[in-house]
Amino acid sequence: MDASSFIGPFVPELLLLGAVLLVFLFDVLGIRRNEGLSTIAVAATSLALLSVLGDLGFAPLGVFATLPPALLDAAPTGAPLYAFTSLGLIFQAIFLLSALLVCLASASRPSNEKGAPIFYGLLLLATLGMLLVAVATDLIFLLLAIEVTSISTYLLVAYHRRESRSLEAAMKFFIIGALSTVLSFYGASLLFGAYDSTNLFAIGRATSTVGFPVLVLLGYGFLIAGLAFKVTLVPFHAWAVDVYDGAPSDVSAFLAGGTKKIGLFAFFLVFLGPILYIKAIGAGESPFQGGALDLGPVLTLTLAVLAVITMTVGNLLALLQKEMKRMLAYSSISQAGYMLIGVTIGTAPAITGATMQIFAHVLMKGGAFLVVAGVAALGIGPLIDDWKGLGTRRPLLGAAFALMLLSLAGVPLTVGFVSKFVLFSSAVQAQGYFVWLAVAGLLNSALSVFYYARVLKVIFFDAAPTVPVAPTAPPPAEALPAGGLGYGRAVTIGLIAVLIVAFGVYPQPVLGAIQAAAQHFITVGA
Amino acid sequence: MFPLLSAVLATLLVGTALTFLAGKNARWVALATSLAFLAEVAYLLASYPGWPGYSAGLIPGFADQESYAWIHLGWLQVNYTVGVDGISLVLILLTAILQVATVIYSWNETRRPGAWFGLVMLTCLGCLGVFIALDILLFFLFWEAVLVPMFFLIGYWGGPRRRYAAVKFFVYTHVASIVMLVGLLALVFYSGATSFDFASVYAAGRGLMTVTQTFLFLALFFGFGVKFPIVPFHTWLPDAHVEAPTGGSVLLAGLLLKLGGYGLIRWAVFVLPSGFHESQPILFTIAFVTIVWGSIVSLAQRDLKRMVAFSSINHMGIVLLAIALGSSLGLLAAVLLMFAHGIVSALLFMVSGSVHHTYGTRDIPSLGGITPSTPVLATMVMVGSLASLGLPWLISFPAEFTALLATWDGLAYWVLIPLGILVVTAGFYIWMMQRMLFGPPRGIPVGVHDLPWYESAAMSLLVVFTILFGILPFLLVNLIVSSPIRGFPGT
Repeated sequence: MDASSFIGPFVPELLLLGAVLLVFLFDVLGIRRNEGLSTIAVAATSLALLSVLGDLGFAPLGVFATLPPALLDAAPTGAPLYAFTSLGLIFQAIFLLSALLVCLASASRPSNEKGAPIFYGLLLLATLGMLLVAVATDLIFLLLAIEVTSISTYLLVAYHRRESRSLEAAMKFFIIGALSTVLSFYGASLLFGAYDSTNLFAIGRATSTVGFPVLVLLGYGFLIAGLAFKVTLVPFHAWAVDVYDGAPSDVSAFLAGGTKKIGLFAFFLVFLGPILYIKAIGAGESPFQGGALDLGPVLTLTLAVLAVITMTVGNLLALLQKEMKRMLAYSSISQAGYMLIGVTIGTAPAITGATMQIFAHVLMKGGAFLVVAGVAALGIGPLIDDWKGLGTRRPLLGAAFALMLLSLAGVPLTVGFVSKFVLFSSAVQAQGYFVWLAVAGLLNSALSVFYYARVLKVIFFDAAPTVPVAPTAPPPAEALPAGGLGYGRAVTIGLIAVLIVAFGVYPQPVLGAIQAAAQHFITVGA
Repeated sequence: MFPLLSAVLATLLVGTALTFLAGKNARWVALATSLAFLAEVAYLLASYPGWPGYSAGLIPGFADQESYAWIHLGWLQVNYTVGVDGISLVLILLTAILQVATVIYSWNETRRPGAWFGLVMLTCLGCLGVFIALDILLFFLFWEAVLVPMFFLIGYWGGPRRRYAAVKFFVYTHVASIVMLVGLLALVFYSGATSFDFASVYAAGRGLMTVTQTFLFLALFFGFGVKFPIVPFHTWLPDAHVEAPTGGSVLLAGLLLKLGGYGLIRWAVFVLPSGFHESQPILFTIAFVTIVWGSIVSLAQRDLKRMVAFSSINHMGIVLLAIALGSSLGLLAAVLLMFAHGIVSALLFMVSGSVHHTYGTRDIPSLGGITPSTPVLATMVMVGSLASLGLPWLISFPAEFTALLATWDGLAYWVLIPLGILVVTAGFYIWMMQRMLFGPPRGIPVGVHDLPWYESAAMSLLVVFTILFGILPFLLVNLIVSSPIRGFPGT
């Protein structure tokens, strides 16, 4: 393998690595102004994003393509460590988008803030790990890539070193994360014992001939548990709320919008093989027929139960929250449940739906946490009730936030509706007991409306507590986002709002690309 | 062919966007857009080729059709397909009239006029979309899109308990829509329809087994029924109506309630005929309960607006009864009733709004003899009430008469229930007029003024249509019977 065919495919990763090294170099040289560093981060992530989109074949971006076309969706030969599937590239694009939005918004951080190089360096490093997850085809490679991301994010959460809340969150995150890593690796080692390989292609092919049911079941069980921590599935979710809550809101946006999705892609990689195999021999058969163990139904059922429990518990707990960030965190947990539906069903339509939901979630939840960061910068407290009157004092910010919440609730003409529609349609289309997944998902959507509507009520209809109701004295910050919000955040939030509507009104390009990729993904095999 | 319906949608969309930006001049932009909308609807009516018996185009019988691909994924074919038939044209006309009237009525809105007029027009835009959509997902999109502006209209401009009412309205109707969405998805995927288009769903839906059809019909009916509203899912309506600002109530009663009836006719009754026939006993029961309950409860109300709100429930019960009959005559009656109720309830809600800010109260017993001090207002109260109780020569009469005729046709002596309830309805309106308009003056503040010009202008517009279609109902009837789905299977 000559150098060019190795470098070409990894241009996005190398770009990020270069940016990481540059940022740390600047730190050593004493150049630590936030503006400069955020420019580097934005440039690196957007170039990488363009390159990935070019590789995917979006016509106007062809000049940025660096991946040799022969490598894309190539049939696997042997047991490779990595492979370039178009679905993987789409996930890379989604990861890069979430990192780009956070970097862009971070341009509004105080320019002399201490530790800015660390922030950007770690952010880019975490993104690098995410990109690697998207191309992994080997369990060990996959878990190591997840580790790159995880370790970076532990540190990101603790970025405000002097704040005990952040530190506590980081500590919790670290301990739970370490535990989940151990579980995943333990599961992987059991699977290695059963299959004599850590390669996902090999495991996928071998699933039909399960030699040691107990080993395999235990292996998958541990792997599900380990990955479920990353994806915040109930009952492995408890850490997420404290961490999202304690972390700086920009970082929460990245965690909820970006990094937890690597776990979902890992679910795609690890579980679609076994599940698809069962599809081939016919769904709906009893898992324990004839004394032999049929792995697919067991996994499907486990994932289905996890999905329903996750969305329901997340929503119910979100109803009880008084703090904005905690509410968003629980809502994020419930959204993970929706996404898991796609893995459970495992058809191309369902994967399309889940991927679209993941894409939508980057915009909506990432955007919502960025608004939280902006609102905190305006000096407004963390409780939902502190947000009273925001919609009348800052109509544009309020409208953008309302749009994100409506999108999360799945109101039409937003990207959140499109994704839920495609996802639940795919469940109904799959028929059988998957229809009940759609019903559960829709009922949960109905449930979630309660808490979103309540927030809308507070920010638009309730009078602000500090400002007098009389219209004689409008608050001084009349000029919109100039003061506390900052241009970076204002631009990012505006951009996200526009994207939410744009992809809600015309989703065909994205959906078409994802559908084609999903089709490839399940035919090539994970 | 010129994309006429998209042009109408675009007019409203651009007008709405400009209104939001126009700030203090919003009312002028809103008025100009609404008049343009009305003119376009007039052109639509004039150019409608089905008077009666029209059939050409993509889906036979629908005029002005357009279809563009929207989401095409192989297994999921959603199009932007629009088109009109006589039934939708009648309701589109209603939308245009009510939009003009609402904009004029709220001419003096001073709290954030840009947002107010913009949201009013957005609501009408959504309703228009529901009436022209011939793709089941497009229909659902507009159906849901109506919720959001109405939520803000109630929640920001409403009365003392507006926050509670807005959230209740949003949650109630959204939950119902979700159940409906389950039904829609199941309808498309279980029937093997090739796309979400009306033509495809219509052809595939009737092929389903009766049991499946019944379940799907009931799911859809729940979604439509909450909008109606049917007893026992009506409790959002009095709250929303009483707390909504006058313009909001006008749109709620005049347009939003019609969405339920229209949806039931277009997407449930004809698409799932066996399911409909199986569910008829349930529909009759609910219709009768709704009629009786709405009327009896109105009788007990002291608040004028609350009384009108409950009488809306009663009227929509008659609409449901007419649809449930499953006959061509019943369908005609249902659409006529929806149009009539749209105009008349809008008038009555304007009247209650005007009574409220002229006299500072809507409490019927504490007012009396208001005719000498505010003759115009009193006239409007009278016209609205008489129209609502079904006086001949006014618009409700032909509608209610047709409904009773259709009921006699289908259910024979059961007609005594709606007939008897008509007497109760007449009773509470006349009793209200007797207490409020006549007798010794009571509760009249000094220096009271009659209606400002814009309020009388808006109400006069509605009165004109009340009388026009009361005398010439065949204008609407011809339109409705020209619709392709006018014949019920098995009748």
